[in-house]
Amino acid sequence: MAFMDTYAPPRHCPLPAIGGILLRSLADEREVALEPQGEWERLLTAANAGDGAAFARFLMQITPVIRGIIRARAVTMGPDEHEDILQEVLLAVHLKRGTWQGDRPVRPWLYAVARHKIVDAFRRRGSAVHVPIETFAETLPEDRSDEPMAARDAAAMLSQIDERSAQIVRAIAIEGENAETAGERVGISAGAARVTMHRAMKRLSSLAERMTK
Amino acid sequence: MSHRQTTEDLIASLAAMPAPPRLRMSRIALQIVGLVAIGIFALLFTTGLRPDLAEALTTPITLAKTAIPLSLAAIALPAAMLTARPDAHPPLWLLALPIAVAVALYLATMAGTPVSMIPQRIIGVSIATCLTSITALSLTPIIVGTALMRRGATTRPTLTGALIGLASGAGAAAGYALHCLDDNPLFFVTWYGIGIAIATAVGAILGRHWLRW
Repeated sequence: MAFMDTYAPPRHCPLPAIGGILLRSLADEREVALEPQGEWERLLTAANAGDGAAFARFLMQITPVIRGIIRARAVTMGPDEHEDILQEVLLAVHLKRGTWQGDRPVRPWLYAVARHKIVDAFRRRGSAVHVPIETFAETLPEDRSDEPMAARDAAAMLSQIDERSAQIVRAIAIEGENAETAGERVGISAGAARVTMHRAMKRLSSLAERMTK
Repeated sequence: MSHRQTTEDLIASLAAMPAPPRLRMSRIALQIVGLVAIGIFALLFTTGLRPDLAEALTTPITLAKTAIPLSLAAIALPAAMLTARPDAHPPLWLLALPIAVAVALYLATMAGTPVSMIPQRIIGVSIATCLTSITALSLTPIIVGTALMRRGATTRPTLTGALIGLASGAGAAAGYALHCLDDNPLFFVTWYGIGIAIATAVGAILGRHWLRW
Protein backbone atom coordinates (compact mmCIF):
# COMPACT_ATOMS: atom_id res chain seq x y z
CA MET A 1 0.00 0.00 0.00
CA ALA A 2 1.74 3.04 -1.30
CA PHE A 3 0.29 5.55 1.04
CA MET A 4 1.49 3.58 4.04
CA ASP A 5 5.03 4.12 2.85
CA THR A 6 4.73 7.80 2.26
CA TYR A 7 2.68 8.53 5.33
CA ALA A 8 4.71 9.43 8.35
CA PRO A 9 3.16 10.73 11.55
CA PRO A 10 3.98 14.39 12.10
CA ARG A 11 7.21 14.48 14.01
CA HIS A 12 6.44 17.62 15.89
CA CYS A 13 2.78 17.83 16.61
CA PRO A 14 2.75 21.12 18.46
CA LEU A 15 1.18 20.96 21.88
CA PRO A 16 -0.87 17.79 21.39
CA ALA A 17 -2.86 18.03 24.62
CA ILE A 18 -4.19 21.40 23.66
CA GLY A 19 -5.59 20.00 20.46
CA GLY A 20 -8.06 17.99 22.51
CA ILE A 21 -9.30 21.02 24.42
CA LEU A 22 -9.74 23.02 21.26
CA LEU A 23 -11.37 20.27 19.26
CA ARG A 24 -13.92 19.80 21.98
CA SER A 25 -14.66 23.50 21.84
CA LEU A 26 -15.46 23.14 18.15
CA ALA A 27 -17.76 20.16 18.54
CA ASP A 28 -20.92 22.17 18.08
CA GLU A 29 -22.79 20.05 15.60
CA ARG A 30 -25.07 18.19 17.93
CA GLU A 31 -28.55 18.72 16.60
CA VAL A 32 -30.69 17.86 19.57
CA ALA A 33 -30.40 18.49 23.24
CA LEU A 34 -28.86 15.53 24.95
CA GLU A 35 -30.76 16.06 28.14
CA PRO A 36 -32.78 19.23 28.52
CA GLN A 37 -32.25 20.40 32.05
CA GLY A 38 -35.53 22.11 32.63
CA GLU A 39 -38.55 23.99 31.40
CA TRP A 40 -36.63 26.84 29.74
CA GLU A 41 -34.30 24.43 27.95
CA ARG A 42 -37.26 22.39 26.73
CA LEU A 43 -39.10 25.47 25.49
CA LEU A 44 -36.12 27.02 23.73
CA THR A 45 -35.21 23.72 22.11
CA ALA A 46 -38.74 23.43 20.75
CA ALA A 47 -38.69 27.10 19.75
CA ASN A 48 -35.46 26.73 17.81
CA ALA A 49 -36.96 23.76 16.02
CA GLY A 50 -39.68 26.10 14.75
CA ASP A 51 -42.35 25.98 17.46
CA GLY A 52 -43.57 29.58 17.69
CA ALA A 53 -45.93 28.92 20.60
CA ALA A 54 -43.07 27.46 22.63
CA PHE A 55 -41.00 30.56 21.88
CA ALA A 56 -43.83 32.84 22.99
CA ARG A 57 -44.09 30.88 26.23
CA PHE A 58 -40.33 30.99 26.69
CA LEU A 59 -40.27 34.77 26.22
CA MET A 60 -43.19 35.22 28.60
CA GLN A 61 -41.45 33.16 31.25
CA ILE A 62 -38.14 34.98 31.00
CA THR A 63 -39.73 38.46 30.84
CA PRO A 64 -40.25 38.93 34.61
CA VAL A 65 -36.77 37.60 35.32
CA ILE A 66 -35.10 39.92 32.80
CA ARG A 67 -37.23 42.80 34.02
CA GLY A 68 -35.96 42.14 37.53
CA ILE A 69 -32.34 42.12 36.38
CA ILE A 70 -32.84 45.38 34.50
CA ARG A 71 -34.51 47.02 37.48
CA ALA A 72 -31.66 45.98 39.75
CA ARG A 73 -28.98 47.18 37.35
CA ALA A 74 -30.56 50.29 35.91
CA VAL A 75 -31.79 51.90 39.10
CA THR A 76 -31.18 55.39 37.73
CA MET A 77 -33.54 54.80 34.82
CA GLY A 78 -37.29 55.06 34.77
CA PRO A 79 -39.84 52.31 34.13
CA ASP A 80 -40.26 53.40 30.50
CA GLU A 81 -36.57 52.92 29.87
CA HIS A 82 -36.62 49.62 31.72
CA GLU A 83 -39.31 48.43 29.35
CA ASP A 84 -37.31 49.69 26.33
CA ILE A 85 -34.25 47.77 27.47
CA LEU A 86 -36.37 44.71 28.19
CA GLN A 87 -37.67 44.82 24.63
CA GLU A 88 -34.15 45.18 23.29
CA VAL A 89 -33.13 42.12 25.28
CA LEU A 90 -36.12 40.08 24.05
CA LEU A 91 -35.35 41.07 20.46
CA ALA A 92 -31.70 40.04 20.94
CA VAL A 93 -32.82 36.73 22.46
CA HIS A 94 -34.79 36.10 19.27
CA LEU A 95 -32.07 37.22 16.85
CA LYS A 96 -29.27 35.34 18.62
CA ARG A 97 -31.10 32.23 19.81
CA GLY A 98 -29.20 30.22 17.22
CA THR A 99 -26.06 30.71 19.33
CA TRP A 100 -27.48 28.78 22.27
CA GLN A 101 -26.18 25.21 22.36
CA GLY A 102 -29.02 22.80 22.97
CA ASP A 103 -27.08 20.71 25.45
CA ARG A 104 -26.11 23.61 27.68
CA PRO A 105 -28.24 25.27 30.35
CA VAL A 106 -30.17 28.29 29.05
CA ARG A 107 -29.59 30.55 32.02
CA PRO A 108 -25.88 31.42 31.57
CA TRP A 109 -26.54 32.09 27.90
CA LEU A 110 -29.60 34.18 28.61
CA TYR A 111 -27.92 36.22 31.33
CA ALA A 112 -24.91 36.87 29.11
CA VAL A 113 -27.21 38.17 26.35
CA ALA A 114 -29.16 40.29 28.84
CA ARG A 115 -26.02 41.70 30.44
CA HIS A 116 -24.61 42.59 27.03
CA LYS A 117 -27.76 44.44 25.98
CA ILE A 118 -28.11 46.24 29.31
CA VAL A 119 -24.51 47.46 29.18
CA ASP A 120 -25.09 48.46 25.57
CA ALA A 121 -28.23 50.36 26.55
CA PHE A 122 -26.30 52.25 29.21
CA ARG A 123 -23.55 53.12 26.78
CA ARG A 124 -25.93 54.38 24.11
CA ARG A 125 -27.96 56.42 26.55
CA GLY A 126 -24.73 57.87 27.90
CA SER A 127 -25.12 59.92 31.01
CA ALA A 128 -28.62 61.01 30.06
CA VAL A 129 -30.34 58.99 32.72
CA HIS A 130 -33.97 59.49 33.46
CA VAL A 131 -34.96 60.09 37.04
CA PRO A 132 -38.72 60.00 37.55
CA ILE A 133 -40.03 63.40 38.55
CA GLU A 134 -42.35 61.90 41.16
CA THR A 135 -39.30 61.26 43.33
CA PHE A 136 -38.92 65.01 43.76
CA ALA A 137 -42.59 65.91 43.95
CA GLU A 138 -42.26 66.82 47.61
CA THR A 139 -39.21 69.00 47.27
CA LEU A 140 -40.03 70.83 44.06
CA PRO A 141 -41.63 74.28 44.23
CA GLU A 142 -45.10 74.87 42.76
CA ASP A 143 -45.13 74.62 39.01
CA ARG A 144 -44.77 78.29 38.14
CA SER A 145 -44.00 77.88 34.51
CA ASP A 146 -41.63 75.86 32.39
CA GLU A 147 -41.49 78.63 29.87
CA PRO A 148 -38.26 80.51 30.57
CA MET A 149 -36.31 77.27 30.37
CA ALA A 150 -38.18 75.95 27.36
CA ALA A 151 -37.87 79.24 25.51
CA ARG A 152 -34.15 79.39 26.17
CA ASP A 153 -33.67 75.80 24.97
CA ALA A 154 -35.76 76.43 21.88
CA ALA A 155 -33.87 79.62 21.06
CA ALA A 156 -30.53 77.87 21.50
CA MET A 157 -31.55 75.09 19.19
CA LEU A 158 -33.19 77.28 16.59
CA SER A 159 -29.98 79.30 16.36
CA GLN A 160 -28.31 76.16 15.07
CA ILE A 161 -30.42 75.82 11.94
CA ASP A 162 -30.76 78.22 9.03
CA GLU A 163 -32.71 81.44 9.48
CA ARG A 164 -35.63 80.67 7.17
CA SER A 165 -36.29 77.25 8.73
CA ALA A 166 -36.01 78.78 12.18
CA GLN A 167 -38.60 81.41 11.25
CA ILE A 168 -40.98 78.75 9.99
CA VAL A 169 -40.57 76.64 13.12
CA ARG A 170 -41.05 79.70 15.32
CA ALA A 171 -44.21 80.68 13.45
CA ILE A 172 -45.80 77.24 13.28
CA ALA A 173 -44.59 75.39 16.34
CA ILE A 174 -44.22 78.20 18.86
CA GLU A 175 -46.64 80.92 17.76
CA GLY A 176 -49.19 78.47 16.44
CA GLU A 177 -49.70 79.96 12.99
CA ASN A 178 -50.80 77.80 10.09
CA ALA A 179 -48.54 76.83 7.22
CA GLU A 180 -50.11 79.38 4.81
CA THR A 181 -49.38 82.46 6.97
CA ALA A 182 -45.99 81.15 8.00
CA GLY A 183 -45.05 80.54 4.38
CA GLU A 184 -46.32 83.93 3.31
CA ARG A 185 -44.17 85.59 5.94
CA VAL A 186 -40.95 84.21 4.46
CA GLY A 187 -42.27 84.23 0.90
CA ILE A 188 -42.81 80.55 0.17
CA SER A 189 -45.89 78.46 -0.53
CA ALA A 190 -47.79 76.62 2.21
CA GLY A 191 -46.58 73.26 0.87
CA ALA A 192 -42.97 74.42 0.89
CA ALA A 193 -43.48 75.73 4.42
CA ARG A 194 -44.72 72.33 5.55
CA VAL A 195 -41.75 70.59 3.97
CA THR A 196 -39.36 73.10 5.54
CA MET A 197 -41.05 72.61 8.89
CA HIS A 198 -40.80 68.84 8.62
CA ARG A 199 -37.11 68.91 7.69
CA ALA A 200 -36.31 71.44 10.39
CA MET A 201 -38.03 69.32 13.04
CA LYS A 202 -36.02 66.32 11.95
CA ARG A 203 -32.78 68.28 12.23
CA LEU A 204 -33.86 69.71 15.58
CA SER A 205 -34.65 66.32 17.02
CA SER A 206 -31.27 64.97 16.00
CA LEU A 207 -29.71 68.09 17.54
CA ALA A 208 -31.68 67.51 20.70
CA GLU A 209 -30.48 63.92 20.81
CA ARG A 210 -26.88 65.05 20.53
CA MET A 211 -27.35 67.74 23.17
CA THR A 212 -28.81 65.35 25.70
CA LYS A 213 -26.13 62.74 25.18
CA MET B 1 -44.58 57.56 23.65
CA SER B 2 -48.11 57.09 22.42
CA HIS B 3 -47.14 54.51 19.79
CA ARG B 4 -45.17 52.38 22.17
CA GLN B 5 -45.19 48.75 21.36
CA THR B 6 -46.13 46.80 24.42
CA THR B 7 -43.92 43.94 25.47
CA GLU B 8 -46.79 41.51 24.91
CA ASP B 9 -47.10 42.68 21.28
CA LEU B 10 -43.37 42.31 20.81
CA ILE B 11 -43.40 38.75 22.18
CA ALA B 12 -46.28 37.84 19.88
CA SER B 13 -44.52 39.22 16.82
CA LEU B 14 -41.18 37.62 17.72
CA ALA B 15 -42.87 34.27 18.22
CA ALA B 16 -44.42 34.56 14.77
CA MET B 17 -41.01 35.01 13.13
CA PRO B 18 -39.10 32.02 11.80
CA ALA B 19 -36.36 30.72 14.06
CA PRO B 20 -32.92 31.91 12.97
CA PRO B 21 -30.62 29.13 11.80
CA ARG B 22 -28.41 27.36 14.28
CA LEU B 23 -24.94 28.84 14.47
CA ARG B 24 -22.31 26.48 13.13
CA MET B 25 -18.96 27.72 14.27
CA SER B 26 -17.00 24.88 12.70
CA ARG B 27 -18.35 25.87 9.30
CA ILE B 28 -17.13 29.44 9.75
CA ALA B 29 -13.76 28.14 10.98
CA LEU B 30 -13.50 25.90 7.95
CA GLN B 31 -14.11 28.83 5.60
CA ILE B 32 -11.37 30.86 7.27
CA VAL B 33 -8.95 27.92 7.04
CA GLY B 34 -9.94 27.43 3.40
CA LEU B 35 -9.30 31.07 2.52
CA VAL B 36 -5.89 31.06 4.21
CA ALA B 37 -5.01 27.79 2.44
CA ILE B 38 -6.08 29.14 -0.96
CA GLY B 39 -3.88 32.19 -0.48
CA ILE B 40 -0.90 30.10 0.58
CA PHE B 41 -1.33 27.72 -2.35
CA ALA B 42 -1.54 30.66 -4.72
CA LEU B 43 1.63 32.14 -3.25
CA LEU B 44 3.56 28.88 -3.29
CA PHE B 45 2.31 28.06 -6.78
CA THR B 46 3.60 31.34 -8.17
CA THR B 47 6.77 31.75 -6.13
CA GLY B 48 7.57 28.17 -5.22
CA LEU B 49 8.45 26.31 -2.05
CA ARG B 50 11.93 26.79 -0.75
CA PRO B 51 14.08 24.30 -2.67
CA ASP B 52 15.49 22.65 0.45
CA LEU B 53 12.16 22.37 2.29
CA ALA B 54 12.31 18.68 3.22
CA GLU B 55 15.79 19.06 4.61
CA ALA B 56 15.06 22.37 6.31
CA LEU B 57 12.11 20.98 8.22
CA THR B 58 14.39 18.52 9.97
CA THR B 59 16.16 21.42 11.67
CA PRO B 60 14.22 22.22 14.84
CA ILE B 61 14.73 26.00 14.47
CA THR B 62 13.46 25.99 10.90
CA LEU B 63 10.59 23.75 11.83
CA ALA B 64 9.72 26.22 14.57
CA LYS B 65 9.30 28.88 11.90
CA THR B 66 6.22 27.01 10.69
CA ALA B 67 5.23 25.25 13.90
CA ILE B 68 5.01 28.32 16.15
CA PRO B 69 2.65 30.33 13.94
CA LEU B 70 0.71 27.18 13.13
CA SER B 71 0.06 26.43 16.79
CA LEU B 72 -0.82 30.08 17.37
CA ALA B 73 -3.42 29.83 14.60
CA ALA B 74 -4.65 26.48 15.89
CA ILE B 75 -5.37 28.05 19.26
CA ALA B 76 -6.67 31.42 18.09
CA LEU B 77 -9.19 30.10 15.57
CA PRO B 78 -11.25 27.87 17.91
CA ALA B 79 -10.96 30.56 20.57
CA ALA B 80 -12.40 33.11 18.13
CA MET B 81 -15.23 30.73 17.26
CA LEU B 82 -15.98 30.16 20.93
CA THR B 83 -16.40 33.88 21.56
CA ALA B 84 -19.37 33.80 19.18
CA ARG B 85 -21.33 32.27 22.06
CA PRO B 86 -22.15 34.75 24.77
CA ASP B 87 -21.85 32.14 27.51
CA ALA B 88 -18.54 30.58 26.43
CA HIS B 89 -15.13 31.27 27.91
CA PRO B 90 -12.32 30.54 25.47
CA PRO B 91 -9.02 29.35 27.01
CA LEU B 92 -7.09 32.46 25.96
CA TRP B 93 -4.15 31.68 28.23
CA LEU B 94 -3.18 28.93 25.78
CA LEU B 95 -2.01 31.65 23.39
CA ALA B 96 0.77 32.46 25.83
CA LEU B 97 2.44 29.07 25.17
CA PRO B 98 3.53 29.54 21.53
CA ILE B 99 4.33 33.18 22.26
CA ALA B 100 6.55 32.11 25.15
CA VAL B 101 8.33 29.60 22.90
CA ALA B 102 8.91 32.32 20.30
CA VAL B 103 10.22 34.77 22.88
CA ALA B 104 12.53 32.13 24.40
CA LEU B 105 13.86 31.25 20.96
CA TYR B 106 14.40 34.91 20.18
CA LEU B 107 16.27 35.66 23.39
CA ALA B 108 18.38 32.50 23.14
CA THR B 109 19.42 33.40 19.60
CA MET B 110 20.14 36.94 20.61
CA ALA B 111 22.33 35.73 23.47
CA GLY B 112 24.32 33.58 21.05
CA THR B 113 24.83 36.32 18.47
CA PRO B 114 27.63 38.92 18.67
CA VAL B 115 26.06 42.26 19.54
CA SER B 116 27.36 43.92 16.39
CA MET B 117 25.65 41.29 14.24
CA ILE B 118 22.19 41.54 15.84
CA PRO B 119 20.79 44.42 13.74
CA GLN B 120 21.96 42.75 10.55
CA ARG B 121 20.38 39.44 11.55
CA ILE B 122 17.09 41.13 12.42
CA ILE B 123 16.96 43.01 9.13
CA GLY B 124 17.75 39.93 7.06
CA VAL B 125 17.14 40.15 3.32
CA SER B 126 13.41 39.90 2.67
CA ILE B 127 11.49 42.16 5.05
CA ALA B 128 9.28 43.70 2.37
CA THR B 129 8.24 40.39 0.80
CA CYS B 130 7.69 38.85 4.19
CA LEU B 131 5.50 41.62 5.59
CA THR B 132 3.57 42.13 2.36
CA SER B 133 2.90 38.42 1.93
CA ILE B 134 1.69 37.81 5.47
CA THR B 135 -0.52 40.88 5.49
CA ALA B 136 -1.92 40.27 2.00
CA LEU B 137 -2.57 36.59 2.63
CA SER B 138 -4.43 37.28 5.84
CA LEU B 139 -6.62 40.11 4.58
CA THR B 140 -9.32 38.09 2.81
CA PRO B 141 -9.79 35.55 5.61
CA ILE B 142 -9.98 38.38 8.14
CA ILE B 143 -12.63 40.28 6.22
CA VAL B 144 -14.72 37.24 5.32
CA GLY B 145 -14.23 35.63 8.73
CA THR B 146 -15.26 38.74 10.63
CA ALA B 147 -18.27 39.24 8.37
CA LEU B 148 -19.34 35.62 8.95
CA MET B 149 -19.01 36.06 12.68
CA ARG B 150 -21.82 38.61 12.57
CA ARG B 151 -24.09 35.57 12.80
CA GLY B 152 -22.65 34.91 16.21
CA ALA B 153 -23.25 36.83 19.39
CA THR B 154 -19.89 37.86 20.74
CA THR B 155 -20.03 39.99 23.83
CA ARG B 156 -16.46 41.10 23.07
CA PRO B 157 -16.41 42.29 19.43
CA THR B 158 -12.84 43.63 19.52
CA LEU B 159 -11.49 40.42 21.03
CA THR B 160 -13.32 38.24 18.51
CA GLY B 161 -12.02 40.35 15.62
CA ALA B 162 -8.48 40.28 17.04
CA LEU B 163 -8.58 36.50 17.39
CA ILE B 164 -9.74 36.10 13.79
CA GLY B 165 -6.93 38.44 12.71
CA LEU B 166 -4.43 36.51 14.82
CA ALA B 167 -5.57 33.17 13.41
CA SER B 168 -5.46 34.45 9.82
CA GLY B 169 -2.12 36.22 10.22
CA ALA B 170 -0.49 33.27 12.01
CA GLY B 171 -1.90 30.83 9.45
CA ALA B 172 -0.56 33.00 6.63
CA ALA B 173 2.86 33.21 8.34
CA ALA B 174 2.99 29.43 8.78
CA GLY B 175 2.35 29.00 5.05
CA TYR B 176 4.71 31.76 4.03
CA ALA B 177 7.45 30.08 6.10
CA LEU B 178 7.47 27.24 3.56
CA HIS B 179 8.69 29.74 0.99
CA CYS B 180 10.87 32.03 3.10
CA LEU B 181 14.59 31.25 3.19
CA ASP B 182 15.66 33.34 6.16
CA ASP B 183 15.87 30.90 9.05
CA ASN B 184 17.29 33.16 11.72
CA PRO B 185 14.83 33.53 14.62
CA LEU B 186 15.96 37.14 15.00
CA PHE B 187 14.53 37.71 11.54
CA PHE B 188 11.43 35.58 11.52
CA VAL B 189 10.22 36.17 15.05
CA THR B 190 10.54 39.92 14.48
CA TRP B 191 8.90 40.20 11.09
CA TYR B 192 6.41 37.34 11.28
CA GLY B 193 5.51 38.76 14.65
CA ILE B 194 4.93 42.22 13.21
CA GLY B 195 2.97 40.78 10.26
CA ILE B 196 0.77 38.77 12.64
CA ALA B 197 0.36 41.82 14.87
CA ILE B 198 -0.82 43.89 11.89
CA ALA B 199 -3.35 41.19 11.00
CA THR B 200 -4.51 41.06 14.62
CA ALA B 201 -4.96 44.83 14.71
CA VAL B 202 -6.91 44.82 11.44
CA GLY B 203 -9.15 42.09 12.83
CA ALA B 204 -9.65 43.97 16.08
CA ILE B 205 -10.70 47.14 14.24
CA LEU B 206 -13.08 45.27 11.94
CA GLY B 207 -14.52 43.32 14.84
CA ARG B 208 -15.08 46.47 16.84
CA HIS B 209 -17.17 47.92 14.04
CA TRP B 210 -18.84 44.88 12.55
CA LEU B 211 -19.53 42.61 15.47
CA ARG B 212 -21.66 44.90 17.58
CA TRP B 213 -25.21 43.74 18.16
